[in-house]
Amino acid sequence: MAEKNRRSLIRSYIVLIILSIIWLFPFFCLVVQSFRSYETEFGGMVNYLFPKKWSLDSYRYLFSEGSQFVKWYTNTLIVAFISAALQTVVVICVSYALSRMRFAGRKLLMNIWLVLGMFPGFLTMICLYFLLKQMGLTGSGAIPGLILIYVASSGMGYYVCKGYFDTIPKSLDEAARIDGASRARILYEMIVPLSKPIIIYTALVSFMAPWCDFVFASYVAFGTSDSYNVAVAMQRWVWTNDYQGFFTRFCAGGVLIAIPVTILFMCLQKYYVEGVTGGAVKG
Amino acid sequence: MNQKKSIIKSIGSFFAWIGKDLKEIGVTFAKGSWQTRLSFLLIGFGQLVRKQFARGLAVLAAAVGLLYYIFGFGMSYLVDLPTLGTKGRGFNPDGTVSYGDNSFLILLFSLVTIVAILAFVFIWRVNVRQNYQADNLLREGKKLPTNRQDLYSLLDENFDKTLLALPVLGIFVFTVLPIIFMICVAFTNYDFNHQPPAKLFTWVGSENFAQLVSMDTAGLGSTFFSVLGWTLIWAFFATFLNYFLGMGVAMLINKKGIKFKKLWRTILVLTIAVPQFVSLLYIGKMFASDGLINSWLMNAGIIDRAIPFWTNKNYARVLIILINLWVGIPYMMLIATGLLMNIPADLYESAKIDGATNMQMFRRITLPYMLHVTGPFLLTQFIGNINNFNVIFLLSQGGPTSVNLEGGAGYTDLLITWLYKMTVTNTNYRMAAVIGIMVFIVSAVISLCVYNILPSVKDEEGFQ
Amino acid sequence: MKRKIFALATAAILALSAFVGCGGGSSEQPSGSQGGENKPAQEGEGGEGSGETEAPAITVLEGDKGQIVIWVAEAVTDFTKEKVLAFFDANPDYKGYGVTIETIGEGDAATNMITDVEGGADIFGFAQDQLARLVAAGGVSPIMGDDAAWITAQNDAGAVGAATVGDTIYAYPMTSDNGYFLYYDKSVVKDPSTLEGIIADCEAAGKGFYFEMNSGWYQTAFFFGTGCELTYDTDNDGNVVACHVDYASDKGVAALKKLVELHKSSMFNNGSSVSNAANCAAIISGTWDSEAAQKLFGENYATAKLPTFTVGDVSYQMSGFGGFKLLGIKPQTDAGKLAVVKALAKYLTGTEIQLARFEAVGWGPSNLEAQANDAIAKNPALAALAEQLVFTIPQGQYPQGYWDQAKALGDSILAGDFDAVDDAKLLEVLTDFQNKCISFAK
Repeated sequence: MAEKNRRSLIRSYIVLIILSIIWLFPFFCLVVQSFRSYETEFGGMVNYLFPKKWSLDSYRYLFSEGSQFVKWYTNTLIVAFISAALQTVVVICVSYALSRMRFAGRKLLMNIWLVLGMFPGFLTMICLYFLLKQMGLTGSGAIPGLILIYVASSGMGYYVCKGYFDTIPKSLDEAARIDGASRARILYEMIVPLSKPIIIYTALVSFMAPWCDFVFASYVAFGTSDSYNVAVAMQRWVWTNDYQGFFTRFCAGGVLIAIPVTILFMCLQKYYVEGVTGGAVKG
Repeated sequence: MNQKKSIIKSIGSFFAWIGKDLKEIGVTFAKGSWQTRLSFLLIGFGQLVRKQFARGLAVLAAAVGLLYYIFGFGMSYLVDLPTLGTKGRGFNPDGTVSYGDNSFLILLFSLVTIVAILAFVFIWRVNVRQNYQADNLLREGKKLPTNRQDLYSLLDENFDKTLLALPVLGIFVFTVLPIIFMICVAFTNYDFNHQPPAKLFTWVGSENFAQLVSMDTAGLGSTFFSVLGWTLIWAFFATFLNYFLGMGVAMLINKKGIKFKKLWRTILVLTIAVPQFVSLLYIGKMFASDGLINSWLMNAGIIDRAIPFWTNKNYARVLIILINLWVGIPYMMLIATGLLMNIPADLYESAKIDGATNMQMFRRITLPYMLHVTGPFLLTQFIGNINNFNVIFLLSQGGPTSVNLEGGAGYTDLLITWLYKMTVTNTNYRMAAVIGIMVFIVSAVISLCVYNILPSVKDEEGFQ
Repeated sequence: MKRKIFALATAAILALSAFVGCGGGSSEQPSGSQGGENKPAQEGEGGEGSGETEAPAITVLEGDKGQIVIWVAEAVTDFTKEKVLAFFDANPDYKGYGVTIETIGEGDAATNMITDVEGGADIFGFAQDQLARLVAAGGVSPIMGDDAAWITAQNDAGAVGAATVGDTIYAYPMTSDNGYFLYYDKSVVKDPSTLEGIIADCEAAGKGFYFEMNSGWYQTAFFFGTGCELTYDTDNDGNVVACHVDYASDKGVAALKKLVELHKSSMFNNGSSVSNAANCAAIISGTWDSEAAQKLFGENYATAKLPTFTVGDVSYQMSGFGGFKLLGIKPQTDAGKLAVVKALAKYLTGTEIQLARFEAVGWGPSNLEAQANDAIAKNPALAALAEQLVFTIPQGQYPQGYWDQAKALGDSILAGDFDAVDDAKLLEVLTDFQNKCISFAK
């Protein structure tokens, strides 16, 4: 019996090691390629993995005068931070109202939002672009415009948070109300402190989204490079033929993006797990 | 059957509600005080005279603002709605351009104006009701709520209004309005040949829908059904393969005796943390005909010519589903890890005593439990995969295309990536709008079916 | 209940403020769309001031009369900046306009102009295949009078034709080099004169031959090579009205057969971008890749006209498109600005600048006088292109449907759909292709 157990454990370890290799391999390649020397091997695509000469050329380029990478990086950070903060507030507000309060049209509102959620987001891109343009929030105003779009529609993403609020006993509310606390006080002084995991989860998810938006952000920036986020700027290096030898720079930029997001994610992983698990059960 | 009944019922109750409302308006006027009657014309008058300044000013400002918008701006667009503009662009002798009507703005602002008119009617109704209630209170000899009370209620019993006002407004302006707009666009000829401000576009009825499903040479029918078919196949595999394999990995890591559980999980979870446009773009290049994978296989002498990963439709489709496992398994693993722990351990203990094998325990205990609690999750995943733009677009851009497909669509294109191509590459907004509506219909039909078949999903809605 | 209604009213006010804001912003639009356009650009300028020290200054000039936005490809961003400054130095009358230069790929530039012409650039570079689309969507201003005469007199006939839709000139020709030829590695490819020889050399060395088969632009090298025809007529609005095509013929079948055969080679790779070619001994691309190709091949760098290819026992010379890059200007509402924009576009496409651009980035001029310059004749990439030019067809206007269709045909070849079919089937495929090409002309 012990022998059999040991064998099955060894088999499991082998599978896990193979899985780990598969999962880490692309990241490993990405990092290695980012250190290829631009001077001697150019920055294009190659059919070997390890650089013949290691160097920091690509990173140097990203921080050089000729590159706006720092600007794009800052833009993305700004959008990510502000929209994470505002989205979290919006989601908490909506979730509290839908979880704790009963008002005419509540069910209707939830159903309408459910239906709206079934329309693909890209459908309305052109309309949103012109709406934002009317407000002067495209082109050089794209950063606030982008934040506005992200935040404006975030109310519909209340499911996970509301599900969490639902699990906080209502008797707590009722006791507080008998003591004369207003709804607003209950939310700020009781529900919010009790919901730390879900708040962190909401903020984390909304923080990560802007790093990957290369579609709508590109539309809104409309050719104003000052307003690009990293995703918009960098996908051009791979897809547009104008950019010769930018592949290693893409890898280097990718590494620089991945590091902070990954660190943040790893630190808050616990809350993320709680969020997705809760979300999965509550739909 | 039930659906039908409830629809008829809700239509009935809607008309009943309108009738009741009209009656109440009549009663308000007939029995109302002079302040109330005057308020029918002068919005907010009654409230102000009764010193309910907060209410009075609120309705007055809203009404004035709406009227200002409707008559100062919106009406000039609304009158052009039937034609979407008639005056074209022209060039002046000095070479400058004079733009005529802009069909896009006419349609957009007409919609806003219609909404503004409805909002005005609503404000007027609110105004009448406020007066009606004030009349009733005074008649009963009660005191009217003070301004202070009114404002405080917004933080207490009316806190929901405060909380929801901005989110609802945001969703209305940036989600509802654009969706209505795009639904309208589906019935126009708005495309690259009718591009405002230089050209006008106009209503064409259901022509675009006919073109999408038409099977003759000019139609997109065969392409549409091919793309739709792949979208469903993709969503099925992307959902269920990830689900079961993710669960498997979770069980593997959870297994008794496995050490460094946290390490294994962290390694897998990296894929969630690293932005997809970095990782997937890179992986896509790895499988190119001269990419790393092919080069290694060729150098090792395993193959003597590149495997057409992205150019052969079957390879491309399978590869995309496989790479999506790389993306999706960690996510499912996290979820499953949490849920598996919730299954009472004694269930397994007693099963073991009864001599059940691992497989039997999985089929009898684990799977039913997981399916039960994650039913709604699977539905959202499925709908999410129908709209999974990133994985497809970053890996293959929908390719390979083929002479058998029209409209720039490829064999790995989902409806959503095709919509993207229509919008961005081809600026064919009318067809993009039609495809978008189709995505909605597909999602809605699937959801309705699942809601009707799976009782656990329905229960979930009422979960409180 | 009552308070709820009051609260709803408050919500309505919030909604209302949005309407007012929305309406107010746009009601300014008709009175002066010029002002509306310039506002964001100037805001950007303010923000730029602080970033200028670390990021490249894309706002090259500041001014209060208005902002001129220029979109050019990555390779010439710095060059254009330098020349714009020189222009304003030489023309003090035009001072007072701010200028912003953005790096936008030529394809994106046209698409953006079509999406929102009012938000687009005042001057933008694009490849000529976009012109009909731009004209149809009103994304480019017609050029009348003296400037039109100047363009006709200064540039080669092909370039003028490329800038013309119907009977109107719509753009300033910038280069005549938008064609393709062969870059190769001397140490691998011994004789670049026949395709079969090149492939054999590549296969022997285990190095790739790159050709972008799923592109309507490159594909024509074979179809036109066997003598096929595919051109479209456009009317004054940029609409495609007629199609002249004979792909569904023995000539077409011969070309398609060769493409199928080419794809079967183990060393064939689909692609035309030197820096994306990971294992490359020979590649068919254009002048924009010359720098990258020199880096890639080092001292083995060599160029040649396109090779001949043999089908059955007939030998054909590879043909293709001779294309042009153009500089377009946006339809302007302000006459003063229009004058500056036109003068600037004219300056940026004049003899002197075309020569300077060639020296800076190797783009071959469309200007007749510049073409006669010695340095141009000596450049290996341009020499190869010039040699190839006699076999090519000046590229006209093609509808988007053609490009999609050609990509689809290429993808089908790459997928191996035609690997084992007979000529009759190929003819059927081409007949289908031809019918679709015709259907795009209405």
